[in-house]
Amino acid sequence: MAASTGQGRGFTTFLVGFTVACAGIAEISAGFGKLLLAVGLVIVAASLFGFLKLKPLEGKTAEAPSSAAMKLLGAFLAAIGWVITLFGMHVVDGTSGRLVLALIGIAVSLFGMIYVLPSAFNKNAIWKA
Amino acid sequence: MNLIRRYCSFLCTLTLGLALSVAVHAQAAAPAAAPAAAPSPTVDAELQGAAAKVPSNDDQAKGDPGGSVTGGVKDVPVADSKTGLTVTDVAAQTGQDKVAINFTWTLICGFLVMFMQAGFALVESGLCRVKNANHTYMMNFFVYGCGLLAYWLIGFAIQMGGAAGNANLGGLYPLNGEHTTTIFGKTWGLWGTQGMFLAGHTYDVGVMVIFLFEMVFMDTALTIVTGACAERWKFLTFSVTSVLMGAFTYPLFGNWAWGGGFLAQLGTNLGLGKGYADFAGSGVVHSVGGLTALAVCLIIGPRIGKYNRDGSSNAIIGHDVSAVLIGCFILAFGWFGFNPGSTLGASANGNLRIGSIAVNTMLAGCTGTFGAILYMWSLKGKPDMSMSANGLLAGLVAITAPSGFVNPIGSAIIGLIAGVLVCVSCAFIENVLKIDDPVGAISVHGTNGLWGVLSVGLFADGTSNYGGSWNGVTGSVTGLFYGDASQLVAQLVGISTLLGFVFTFSFVLNWALEIFIGHRVSAETEVAGLDIPEMGQLGYPEFVFRQETESFTEVPAAAVA
Repeated sequence: MAASTGQGRGFTTFLVGFTVACAGIAEISAGFGKLLLAVGLVIVAASLFGFLKLKPLEGKTAEAPSSAAMKLLGAFLAAIGWVITLFGMHVVDGTSGRLVLALIGIAVSLFGMIYVLPSAFNKNAIWKA
Repeated sequence: MNLIRRYCSFLCTLTLGLALSVAVHAQAAAPAAAPAAAPSPTVDAELQGAAAKVPSNDDQAKGDPGGSVTGGVKDVPVADSKTGLTVTDVAAQTGQDKVAINFTWTLICGFLVMFMQAGFALVESGLCRVKNANHTYMMNFFVYGCGLLAYWLIGFAIQMGGAAGNANLGGLYPLNGEHTTTIFGKTWGLWGTQGMFLAGHTYDVGVMVIFLFEMVFMDTALTIVTGACAERWKFLTFSVTSVLMGAFTYPLFGNWAWGGGFLAQLGTNLGLGKGYADFAGSGVVHSVGGLTALAVCLIIGPRIGKYNRDGSSNAIIGHDVSAVLIGCFILAFGWFGFNPGSTLGASANGNLRIGSIAVNTMLAGCTGTFGAILYMWSLKGKPDMSMSANGLLAGLVAITAPSGFVNPIGSAIIGLIAGVLVCVSCAFIENVLKIDDPVGAISVHGTNGLWGVLSVGLFADGTSNYGGSWNGVTGSVTGLFYGDASQLVAQLVGISTLLGFVFTFSFVLNWALEIFIGHRVSAETEVAGLDIPEMGQLGYPEFVFRQETESFTEVPAAAVA
């Protein structure tokens, strides 16, 4: 289908909803702000469901399904590496210990990012077919 | 004689007061100027005497070709015409001059950074095939609007809403709200709260300057993703992603590094060097863009024809060498706004280091180019054009964080390593990870952004002095090679945050968009080229295109509707 009037209207709706929601956050201390935020979020949600209805019209893409569990695992590992680094700074006082824990955290994150996730996406890659 | 001595003494005190009133680079909040000492009546009398001796209007009517008459005592505004010119008037004008110089410097540097969008457009589009030229140019064009809107609505408030205290730009006191949390007895900044819509008390001259400067930085990060995902990214999804990145992803990390957030507090709270130090944004701008590009590239998958069944890759040649190289020069030019401009001023608070920062920027770009050319020439036999261009950009990306803290030799080494690193990283991402990045954005900005952040912790030589402190910690940023290992740890925490938070957040956000909208155009659209289906017009309507080989035009069987 490619770009269409439906997409254009959907994006316009998304922007309107996003702007209204932001106005609500800016005035959140007032009751009016909370109302604006709720209205904005409803409009954003409506635009997303509008996109969802348009999606099948796009036609088949050169993508293959891949394991959601592996993707979640990869994202989890990337995030947990960060947590290791942050808490490592609090549980260890010495510079050397902190250096080691920071490196361990980075290694765990990288393992999730450049091993688990690419493996998940490439397992059934369309170019293998 | 005595009068002159007292006058000199007063001026020294005033100058010292202004100098110590301190730096702040958005990136390093410090207290604003203290009030000057009370003026002496005798000095006032001398000033009034000087004011009486100014050239007459008749003298000035004769013209001033040497520039020795124009501008003088009579140009200092007088608060009270009855008392005439006083020291208070001179001091007020001196303070305003300092802020005016810094406003002008920051704005002009911001304009240079804005012009980098044109460079990105040329580089990215030139490295893509001609059938996608219009689409790639349009993404680079529209990302500016998407990012700006989102940043104005909420992104700026999240990033800089708690960054008050910048003496370079007059204090920025309206930006005085940082949401914090307490962990293990320490208070940590999470996001700013002031400045949404630039309305209310943030309708302020200083806030406008910092908004413009930080906005163009944010847009640079956004436009990195468009290159990595070019030739298959649905324009709708690109637009929504750009809005969300400008609103949340970039500003959150920006706050933690530059807005008084938890990374900036690593020095004051945990004694890690001067806290996370990222002078102009190797991490904040380039790594955020590069890692988001990696997240989206994983989701969106490689272009049709990029990989063969055995996993080997095919080179997909760009359509315009001249656009790529001219774009690179525009980017290198804009980088003189990016790095030296990140002092947020040219007057006081150690800001005279701008010359050193500019030279460091030049040198790293130069050695980055050498690194890439010599690597490719020695190992592959040709000084590859696209890798040469990426070598220049990699050197510039890598020097962005350390540019304000290192010496020229350090910057040359950082750039040289970046030039080689970008070649190695591109090959690794393409051949080992099987991730298709048409312009090498993940390697240029992601990998070398991380290298730039790391290099601060290694090469910072401890000679910079931006008002005597950085991130609220007295002293200069000093890396491992100059004696401070704890600064390296602070930089590693920043890298871990980029990998663990920015990448994961971007991945989850774009995975959700994949479910709702879908990132990728249809296979038929991709094979035909995105210009007509997505944009309705060819980039070069009067050109005759060469037929592509079958591997690039054959729709995979699994993608046939």
